[in-house]
Amino acid sequence: MIEVVSGGTWTTIQDRGRPGWERYGVSPGGPADWFSAAAANALVGNDPDAALVECTLMGPTLRFRREATVALMGGETLAIENGIAFPLAAGAELKIGRVRRGLRTYVAVRGGIAVPRVMGSRALCQLGRFGGGFGRPLEVGDQLPVGKATAQPPPPLPLPKGRGLRSGGGRFLKRLPLVGPWEVRVMAGPHTSAFGADDFARFLNTAFPVTPRANRMGMRLRAPGFRVQATEILTTPVTQGAVQVTPSGEAIVLLAEHQTTGGYPVIATVISADWPLLGQARPGDTIHFREVSLAEAQRARSRLDGWFGQ
Amino acid sequence: MRRIVAAGDRALLIVFGDTMSPETLADVLTFEATLRRVKPRGLIGTVPAYASLLCTYDPGITEGASFQRQLQTLPVPPRRRLRRAVHEVPVRYDGPDLERVAQHARLSVADAVSLHAGTEYLVYAIGFAPGFSYCGVLPEILATPRLPSPRTRVEPGSVGIAERQTGIYAVASPGGWNIIGRTDTVLFDPRRRPPARFQPGDRLRFVPA
Repeated sequence: MIEVVSGGTWTTIQDRGRPGWERYGVSPGGPADWFSAAAANALVGNDPDAALVECTLMGPTLRFRREATVALMGGETLAIENGIAFPLAAGAELKIGRVRRGLRTYVAVRGGIAVPRVMGSRALCQLGRFGGGFGRPLEVGDQLPVGKATAQPPPPLPLPKGRGLRSGGGRFLKRLPLVGPWEVRVMAGPHTSAFGADDFARFLNTAFPVTPRANRMGMRLRAPGFRVQATEILTTPVTQGAVQVTPSGEAIVLLAEHQTTGGYPVIATVISADWPLLGQARPGDTIHFREVSLAEAQRARSRLDGWFGQ
Repeated sequence: MRRIVAAGDRALLIVFGDTMSPETLADVLTFEATLRRVKPRGLIGTVPAYASLLCTYDPGITEGASFQRQLQTLPVPPRRRLRRAVHEVPVRYDGPDLERVAQHARLSVADAVSLHAGTEYLVYAIGFAPGFSYCGVLPEILATPRLPSPRTRVEPGSVGIAERQTGIYAVASPGGWNIIGRTDTVLFDPRRRPPARFQPGDRLRFVPA
């Protein structure tokens, strides 16, 4: 059992989420930075999809009743170094503190966080107030059960050659950048043709600052002078990574906990290999978008998946 | 005629038209039913809404281009009829925006209520938030623009109006629709299968309670 001693800014339980339930208005959810979450799990010998703790900006303090092995990935903290499997004694307190570089830190515990599954997932569904153990972000006093680890110690990580693996230690070096400016790859569509002829080109040529209006559902970007001429669209299903543009020229990038339908046209969609970057971008950072093809997007994704032997 | 466009590297959007109509919705639902029966390899889920259908897929199982070809060549049967059964939704018409909606329509509150309750609606989508039911089409005279700034919390069961749509909030959420009443019908329960009370294609009638 793990006791939450302090909750942090917005600390949630995440696993792979609930893909496939969007038809009932349920967001797929899952980690905002899936790569760091999968890496943290791999470091402690969990499945990439095991439930773990996602911390935002200010992390929680966790007290471990029994000895445990933990790993941190994603945003950097002063708690323990990212990228190592770290043993904790029974009774130890892990104070995550502030995320100093990047925005979200993942805390994986060997065995995984074993809160009950709801609709096939342990992840919090924020709008539905279910899952995640408590139907809300973690608070002081919450008790988190830890699952049974498999018998073997963490297996060595199947890292491709030349990818910055520090020798011997089973460490991930920083595979993904943690600070902006960010170059984020997009595919055109699905509603690029609802915009004016030059709008997509101007979209690609604009550096968009991230506004403070950013959470797990989406992040709003606003660049002075960016305006578009778009025709109205009928309410349509939307996906993670969709970049909606409002009539006032604000761009809203949808993240893991996105609403399932939307009424703003989507000028471009961030490829899944770059969703982790969106999960680490902070208000004030700038993002600029680069167009790639479907084939390039899928190659980029398989390269990242290759880290986990998938 | 349907048009298939990529929505990133893990989904395709199939667009069947650009208007809210029972025929287009029936096309969307016919295609969806076919897809759920055929179950192409790699298909994760389908999301129908108004005139389009999102199909999510796992690129680890099927390559995007071949998945798209499969959808393009899927033999689709003739348009299915929408279900005839009408669900009744009891509503207490006492919402905070009811008077304003009536004023906007230049009707008495009683007339606005009987017009809203006297119309049969089609569920065009379940979306935005868990179980939220988008219904149409609202009589033109009742059409009211969204609130200038959304409420931070709208209670579950709230019945709202936005332009030519009426809808029901299934869970507490922020929202910008004009709230005219509330129902005790439970619209979303994560333990139920399916978790949402209504589905696209269902017919609804609101009954003053």
